[in-house]
Amino acid sequence: MASLIACPHCGPRPKEEFTVRGDAGITRPAPDAGEDAWYAYVYLRDNPRGRHKEHWHHTSGCRRWLVVERDTMTHAIYTVTDASAEGETA
Amino acid sequence: MADFALLHRPALADAKSGSFGAPSTGARITLTALPEGHVMHVLASRGSGDLTALIPRIGDGASHAVRPYGPGQWFVIGDAPLAAAEIFAKTPLLEGKASISDQGHGRVRIGISGASVEAVLAKGTAVDLALSNFPVGHSAMTLIGHISALISRTGPESFELLVLRGFAESLWDELIQMSLEFGVDARTGK
Repeated sequence: MASLIACPHCGPRPKEEFTVRGDAGITRPAPDAGEDAWYAYVYLRDNPRGRHKEHWHHTSGCRRWLVVERDTMTHAIYTVTDASAEGETA
Repeated sequence: MADFALLHRPALADAKSGSFGAPSTGARITLTALPEGHVMHVLASRGSGDLTALIPRIGDGASHAVRPYGPGQWFVIGDAPLAAAEIFAKTPLLEGKASISDQGHGRVRIGISGASVEAVLAKGTAVDLALSNFPVGHSAMTLIGHISALISRTGPESFELLVLRGFAESLWDELIQMSLEFGVDARTGK
């Protein structure tokens, strides 16, 4: 896994300072979307090979939620942005 | 009625004290348990904009009283203990744009200084502490080993660490270990 994350607020920091939440691409279903949609939202995840966007929390730094776009195969990091700046919610 | 009397005791009162490690004189490290004065955690309200000019109002005016460590997050620190009422009285100074939480009971400060201080702290954190990247007055929340701490530069060769009270003695012992090759004088104020 990538070892340095360039936090937009704190600069480059080791991955040990962060907590990974998981896929940043999924959207919360409507409250009445039905059991299947909610089951998929809560439990089912893709396991992509290659570029992947995830939510990372800078737990031991600025305590902000970030969106990290990284490659699950090469461990390269492409972009790191504050989750609120992207308007990401989940 | 309490079954036993509660005593206020500094977190580092029983920590290791004295001189340890190499007998060098040139690059020695000095560790100091700093006064447990006031530690106020300040959090900006949503959408309150840039509060950089507002936050120093609640500080004691000393240099390095205000320590930013992330968007809308500050620690305001000083040597004088403040009663809860005194901290509450500072709230209007922030014009409703930020809130204050008293952390004086929860976090303590450790001073670390010496010619080799950057080399010692670099054993525990990945933050670039070079003076060009981390000037006097700059702060960063990070891990020192496995312990979360706020590192603030107070001079070219001196830093202050703000650490959770329960971790203070553990960090103190680790800092002594990390400083052994340069020699270290640990002062708990006893």
